[in-house]
Amino acid sequence: MFDFGIITKWIHDWLLSFMPMGLATVIECMLVGIFIILLYLVVAVIMIYMERKVCAAFQCRLGPNRVGPWGTIQLVCDVIKMLTKEIISIRSSDKFLYNLAPFIVILASVMAFSCLPFGRGIEVLDFNVGIFFLMASSSIGVVGVLLAGWGSNNKYSLIGAMRSGAQMISYELSASISLLTIILLTDTMQFSEIVMRQEDTWFIFKGHIPAFIAFVIYLIAGNAEVNRGPFDLPEAESELTAGFHTEYSGMHFGLFYVAEFVNLFIIAGVAATIFLGGWMPLHIAGWENFNAVMDFIPSIVWFFGKTLFVVWLLMWMKWTFPRLRIDQILTLEWKYLIPISMLNLLIMTIVVVFKLHF
Amino acid sequence: MKKKRGYIGSLLFGIKSLLTGFGVTGKEFFKKKVTEEYPDNRDTLQISPRFRGRLTMPDPSKCIACGLCQMNCPNDTISLVTEMITDKETGKNKKVLVSYNYDLGACMFCQLCVNVCPHDAIQFSTEFENAVYDRNHLKLTLNKE
Amino acid sequence: MEDIIYIEKEKFHDVALEYRKKGYDFLRSLTGIDWGEDGLGAIYHLENTSTKENIVLKTLTLRREDPHLLSVADIWKGAEFNEREIYDYFGIQFIGHPDMRRLFLREDWVGFPLRKDYDMSLNPLRMSNEETSNDTQFIEVLPDGSVIKHRDLLFDNDEYVINIGPQHPATHGVLRFRVSLEGEIIKKLDVHCGYIHRGIEKMCESLTYPQTLALTDRLDYLGAHQNRHALCMCIEKAMGIEVSERVQYIRTIMDELQRIDSHLLFYSCACMDLGALTAFFYGFRDREKILDIFESTTGGRLIQNYNTIGGVQADIAPDFVSKVKDFIKYLRPTLKEYHDVFTGNVIMQGRTKGVGVLSREDAISFGTTGGTGRASGWACDVRKRHPYAAYDKIQFDEILYTEGDCFARYMVRMKEIEQSLNIIEQLIDNIPEGDIQVKLKPIIKVPEGTYYSAVEGSRGEFGVFLESRGDKHPYRLKFRSTGLPLVSAMNTMCRNAKIADLIAIGATVDYVVPDIDR
Repeated sequence: MFDFGIITKWIHDWLLSFMPMGLATVIECMLVGIFIILLYLVVAVIMIYMERKVCAAFQCRLGPNRVGPWGTIQLVCDVIKMLTKEIISIRSSDKFLYNLAPFIVILASVMAFSCLPFGRGIEVLDFNVGIFFLMASSSIGVVGVLLAGWGSNNKYSLIGAMRSGAQMISYELSASISLLTIILLTDTMQFSEIVMRQEDTWFIFKGHIPAFIAFVIYLIAGNAEVNRGPFDLPEAESELTAGFHTEYSGMHFGLFYVAEFVNLFIIAGVAATIFLGGWMPLHIAGWENFNAVMDFIPSIVWFFGKTLFVVWLLMWMKWTFPRLRIDQILTLEWKYLIPISMLNLLIMTIVVVFKLHF
Repeated sequence: MKKKRGYIGSLLFGIKSLLTGFGVTGKEFFKKKVTEEYPDNRDTLQISPRFRGRLTMPDPSKCIACGLCQMNCPNDTISLVTEMITDKETGKNKKVLVSYNYDLGACMFCQLCVNVCPHDAIQFSTEFENAVYDRNHLKLTLNKE
Repeated sequence: MEDIIYIEKEKFHDVALEYRKKGYDFLRSLTGIDWGEDGLGAIYHLENTSTKENIVLKTLTLRREDPHLLSVADIWKGAEFNEREIYDYFGIQFIGHPDMRRLFLREDWVGFPLRKDYDMSLNPLRMSNEETSNDTQFIEVLPDGSVIKHRDLLFDNDEYVINIGPQHPATHGVLRFRVSLEGEIIKKLDVHCGYIHRGIEKMCESLTYPQTLALTDRLDYLGAHQNRHALCMCIEKAMGIEVSERVQYIRTIMDELQRIDSHLLFYSCACMDLGALTAFFYGFRDREKILDIFESTTGGRLIQNYNTIGGVQADIAPDFVSKVKDFIKYLRPTLKEYHDVFTGNVIMQGRTKGVGVLSREDAISFGTTGGTGRASGWACDVRKRHPYAAYDKIQFDEILYTEGDCFARYMVRMKEIEQSLNIIEQLIDNIPEGDIQVKLKPIIKVPEGTYYSAVEGSRGEFGVFLESRGDKHPYRLKFRSTGLPLVSAMNTMCRNAKIADLIAIGATVDYVVPDIDR
């Protein structure tokens, strides 16, 4: 299997051959930054296109099909439209917070995004508390949402922001606990290590029942954390028109929009990494030939394939269920998900202690 | 009334109901789609012959300029310009149609004009693409194409 | 021609209260009329819901400047909005009414448009915005006969009031609620109507009878057939026309198809309002099939123009029967799919069960007929109460639930689709031969008198009140809106509910805004 680490090492050596260590590091950081932001945009575009096509298929429609073959150019048009739209400033809003909010949301999203291991050797932020860092940075996003709701001085926005505050912070808990369940199994929080430990089997098979329950809970909680249906209360279209981003227009709105879709990708990516082996191909012990064939598929394809599959699952969920009410959302979290995930954690501990896993 | 379910019961009921929902949408995902690709399917588009698209006058010579349609129109959509001419052979005075003005923009397609027309000179066509760029283009003169 | 009991205006409240105690608990319709020299007044259609007896009361005042009548809003809650409507149209102030404001027109409207001496030029098209007024008035009469007006505030200054509508995805049109919130809990709700008010009743007074028909399709656009059916029936009753069996059957089938159409749309919109966007498309996909059936026979999809005085516009299309049968065969299994994807869903049930409860007493008092009333346990189906067309020849069940909550309202409509399918199945093979149009004189004149007839519209009793003076124009034509009682009950249903519940209640009550505003 191809290791992208070879390329990065080659670039590093080449830069060092004619410049000092400090300068080389600065240039490498900039290159990585540009790479991440470009990838972020590409992922956003893919996600939006996929959302529109998948939701159309569930709704017995065709989806975008007018611009370009199968409507593929549609997204480019949408981006151009969004970029050329006027950014309206609201007279009685808190200008500073109002303008700051989308950047906080996008910052949190990019930071979480850079934690993902996209393939063998493509890991941008990879250190020993990777999962912890991911959870911490992704929860900065809620601050942006709250600021957007408060800063735009609109009653709908404020209600939406308050809802999202309650919701995102609550669901952080069960999402973290279900990740913790797997960390019990791996005894590491480093993403690259987690992927490497799944070389023989993915954790969802290794940890069998508790791992599967944790996977489901993580998907539900993750969906709620990124405010997507059926948990899209903060922007409940039929109640609050657009919730916290009612007053945003142009690229300010675009940032929220892009962040929402990439956050979905991040949730799916983390689920794919932790439960489904990340970029690690499907290996079955004993089937050497099969494993060799699987290894032929590039790691990046594995990662994106698994992630998009999880995204598709989440979209299926979004486009099937009606929206919950605020009290039901909190009931679901505090009365069902948290007790179940706690119990699940206990089961996983027993499994690990008595070596009941595969 | 069904009896209240307990904690586990409601959880299982919830999961079951959600899975049933997944089943329906999941099946729909692979079914044939119903989107009408409108401008492309113009040739195969089926429009009922009774559809009221716009008022037309296929044969202006049928119109005797009686003005019944104009009288019956609730929206003053139709206005007739007529003149009196004397028939050379019989010497009788006869009213003839000069122009039949119809404002598509004000028409509410109630069909009273067509119902009342004694000689079936006017009828609704199934042409439905009535959009124009300028309101004035909606003011039509039916007896002159 | 109806027997009308005249009651002097001073005694009206006491007499009305007596009738209420005798069991006349349902105010079917309340119509304001300007009789010119003979005064301004109102006509009350009452029904005893247990014995199905009907009476008509009338009261009037001779004063044209500052006219007063006694309010009956404390006896029938449904009178509250209707009296506001009469105030709006005729300027009659109701003494004892808690909230005497205009209902449809702008606050700065000059004069009262349905009075016969109203001058159209008083109200040019105003391009300025209307300031939302927070004032209302309460009129009291002192023992010495003098009248005082108390000014009142709708909302206190420190209340957190948000606007839901007029442009809002969940109000199904341009309806506006002002909602006072405490956190997410609704404390008070005030309905603003009139954003799509077209003055159809006023317009009808200057149109001939066939011309008025075209306007009924534009009231409740999801009940176009039924509305037009009601007006045709009223005019036919007045003129003593008997339509043929064939027409009766066709009208009944069309009414039921229209009901299915409307209920499918109800299902779709309820799904969308509760956030299930996919189910929304399923409902619309299947509604399209009905619209195709309509199109082939009537030539219209939304505005059908099908019923005429004494018949129908055209005979049914040749493929009508087979298409309807195919549709019935298709819809039954699809309904099960609807229940799988939405009705059975635990989230949906959690959001609708026990939410927005309307008691049976309140339902009758407000006059919330249709699915909303039947969900509260009130057997209010006009098809059963006062059978018309072919409804006395067929078997069908009136769906009744007793919970009165959103889920019951939803289920009533879903079950009604099945009943409508049953009705159509009974009729579709037996359409008798006959004329589709009675021969009429070219100019239709209705004999003098007052007439009321009602049909079961898609969302309740749709009534037509006609007062004729023997002209070719109606003297007064009033449509009993199906939606107005529904929105008047919103404040009661939404108290202490959450914002999300307001949407669920609005979706299941299923009002159509052009029908409220007329």
